Amino acid sequence: MWNYTGIAKRTREYHEAIILSKIVEISPTTRHEGHSKLVLKVDDAGIIERGDWLSITPVRGVEKLAIGKTMDQVPKIASRVCGICPIAHTLAGIESMEASIRCEIPRDAKLLRIILQSANRLHSHALHNILTLPDMYLPGTDTKINPFSPQEPVRSVAKRIQRLREIGQTIGEIAGGEAVHPSNPRVGGMYKACTQQAKTKMYDLAKEALVLAHEQMDFMIAILRNYQKRDWAEVGGKQIPIPKTLGYHNQGYMAAHPMYGSSSLDECPGWNPDRWTDVRPWDWYMGEGEVSLADPSYPIGGTSPVGTKVNPQMEACTGVPLYDGSPVEVGPRARLVQFKNYDEKGTIGQQVARQMEYPDCLYTIINALDEYNPNGKVLADHIPQGDGSLGWAANEAPRGTDVHLAKVKDGRVLYYEMLVPTTWNFPTCSRALTGAPWQLAEVIVRGYDPCVSCATHMIVIDEDKRLVAQKLIQ
Amino acid sequence: MPLMRHSNEVREMAGELGKYKLCVSARSADKAILKKAQDGGIVTQLFKFALEEGIIDGAIVAGPGDEPWRPRPFIATTVEELMTSSGTKYNISPQVSWIKEATRSFGLDKIGIVGTPCQMQAVRKGQLYPVGLRDVPDKIKLAIGIFCMENFSYQSVKQLVEDHAAMKMEAVKKMEIGKGKFWVYGQRGQVVQLPLKVTHKYEQPGCHVCLDYVANLADVSTGSVGSPDGWSTVFVRTRNGDDIWSKAIAAGCFETKPIEQVKPGLELVTKLATEKITKNQKTVEERAKFGVNKGLRNPYLGPK
Ligand SMILES: Cc1cc2nc3c(=O)[nH]c(=O)nc-3n(C[C@H](O)[C@H](O)[C@H](O)COP(=O)(O)OP(=O)(O)OC[C@H]3O[C@@H](n4cnc5c(N)ncnc54)[C@H](O)[C@@H]3O)c2cc1C
Ligand code: SF4
Repeated sequence: MWNYTGIAKRTREYHEAIILSKIVEISPTTRHEGHSKLVLKVDDAGIIERGDWLSITPVRGVEKLAIGKTMDQVPKIASRVCGICPIAHTLAGIESMEASIRCEIPRDAKLLRIILQSANRLHSHALHNILTLPDMYLPGTDTKINPFSPQEPVRSVAKRIQRLREIGQTIGEIAGGEAVHPSNPRVGGMYKACTQQAKTKMYDLAKEALVLAHEQMDFMIAILRNYQKRDWAEVGGKQIPIPKTLGYHNQGYMAAHPMYGSSSLDECPGWNPDRWTDVRPWDWYMGEGEVSLADPSYPIGGTSPVGTKVNPQMEACTGVPLYDGSPVEVGPRARLVQFKNYDEKGTIGQQVARQMEYPDCLYTIINALDEYNPNGKVLADHIPQGDGSLGWAANEAPRGTDVHLAKVKDGRVLYYEMLVPTTWNFPTCSRALTGAPWQLAEVIVRGYDPCVSCATHMIVIDEDKRLVAQKLIQ
Repeated sequence: MPLMRHSNEVREMAGELGKYKLCVSARSADKAILKKAQDGGIVTQLFKFALEEGIIDGAIVAGPGDEPWRPRPFIATTVEELMTSSGTKYNISPQVSWIKEATRSFGLDKIGIVGTPCQMQAVRKGQLYPVGLRDVPDKIKLAIGIFCMENFSYQSVKQLVEDHAAMKMEAVKKMEIGKGKFWVYGQRGQVVQLPLKVTHKYEQPGCHVCLDYVANLADVSTGSVGSPDGWSTVFVRTRNGDDIWSKAIAAGCFETKPIEQVKPGLELVTKLATEKITKNQKTVEERAKFGVNKGLRNPYLGPK
């Protein structure tokens, strides 16, 4: 007689041994903006089978508190969502209002916004170099790069990065009134035109930065290519193999414009609200679990201890926006894929794409300055107060498409929604973790240049565009 | 105590005149400036020199506003623009409101600013505690202070001119406070003098807690008191102020006389400064017991 029970038991044990994966948690993640963590299901070799990267930044509920406030005030509040890319939120916020009330702004105002936009991208990418470099190696050595080291060649690179940032912030400050939370943009255009003297100053700075940006781009690409050729990277004293497919995913890309953005006022808009749906984190992330693998040597301070309860579905502080029903990647690579036929996948391909955007920031500034007339008007003659129509604006933030949607009536905001770059990237990046050693998960995350504060919003909409969940307070 | 010492030696005499390296009586050597200036044309001449020499690339001055004698602060980047700002307007001109914008849409790197003692305080506070003043502190290159006993609201000046002096605002050529009187000069040659006690109730109340008469915190400060008509009393205070002043002297911008050789000289400046500070110090102290078992705030003390 067959002992069916015995066979079944053995089979189950056998299967469990194979499929029983372990959970490791890196919390918090570092060298990016905001507060997030990684919950990773790994196999025996430590390779990620399924990864969830999620925001644990408290929800601040900007969209909810915007309701009833004036259309002039809301973009200034939205700017405070993030201090690295406040330009994106200011411009997308204002332009969503302008789209709702259907206000066309004067050309010279638009040019100042373009200058501000490009200057901020320059600064942001340069800042991200500082966050990336510590993962990378000095070519031909097994020495990781410490951007704060006083030694050459790192010192000169750090100085070049800081000068690029300084120039980006200074140009932004002149065109935008302020580098962090720009004061000059307003519904209908800009408050102040820049003088001839200011124009000349921006031009000189852009010319100086153009040379540095080319050098910095070449340097970064060489460093990234070197990483790509390596077989291993050292993490917490161990040699971790680098897969050739580090950070690969099969999700789509989304970008509204190569440099600036698009809005519902455009004749051929670069984004389509009908293709967007939102799902709740609990439809998308892993459920309850318990950390079963811990590594106290993971720099710095180790991973979460064994026994820690995790529950990404409930802990995630973001909705999950989908485009055409699936997660998409946004950011520099998405822009290059959409507009320049770029086709390199993976983390390094993504980082290389970011560096390739450097010169364009400056060419765009220089061209816009050539066109800019200091005596031109910068405020629309007529600013309608709105009838409640839906308007949207997509700004190509440093980290990707930042879409704001608004309904304005009698000068007040009836509805406001922000779909920010890192929110789009959360689910995509989570997918891209699969197949990598868990110790390199953060390298993949950093490829997205995450801005987690930006990503933490609260309105969730289902396939029928109905509001299904509002989490103001967790 | 000797009243005059030499340059390069910062002296701290009676606290009411602040720290300074040099004090002279001076006037501009430029006839065109003198013609429109309030006193010796020190402010306009020094900014003109600084603009021409590239020491500053713009100056925040008080120019003509929307109504006659209402000042409007603006950023002068040319000598022509600067020339429209000469003369004292005895009502509030919020000079510091442009200080950040000068470095933004104006793209200035080297800012000049003129203002009353309280405005010099604002500039220095902004340099040391730049709350919301990113990139401003290192761009202030010449701060010129003007002496100030008190200021008025626009409505107050209008009332003094139109009711007390019986003159239309637009008919006025010059106003002056001096020799214990408020003087109003008409375009057609009329001169009206009002006793200062008439003006007191029109003073802006915030001036009553002000403890600075001769712009102690400026690079260079200037006023009419102490020097003869058409001349100014000038304090050169900081190293930066001294540097610019010496260059301007070398370039022949000013005629000067040692302050001891002019009448009424520093004695009167010191007397008026002492009077202002003593009177206002009393007001500050009274605020502490303004109410019954409670007082009003004192900005010179930190928060409790
Ligand atoms: C409210 C007030 C009170 C004053 N009280 C006294 C006093 O008690 N004793 C004394 O000796 N001098 C006083 N002065 C200073 C005096 O009137 C002259 O301004 C000073 O001597 C400069 O003259 P100037 O010929 O060198 O300047 P000018 O070359 O004529 O230039 C005058 C400068 O003053 C600026 N200015 C004019 N009005 C204002 C204003 N309201 N606020 C800020 N800046 C302004 C203009 O921008 C201009 O740059 C006072 C000035 C003001 C504005
Ligand atoms: S009296 Fe003092 S507070 Fe009043 S305007 Fe003059 S300096 Fe300013």
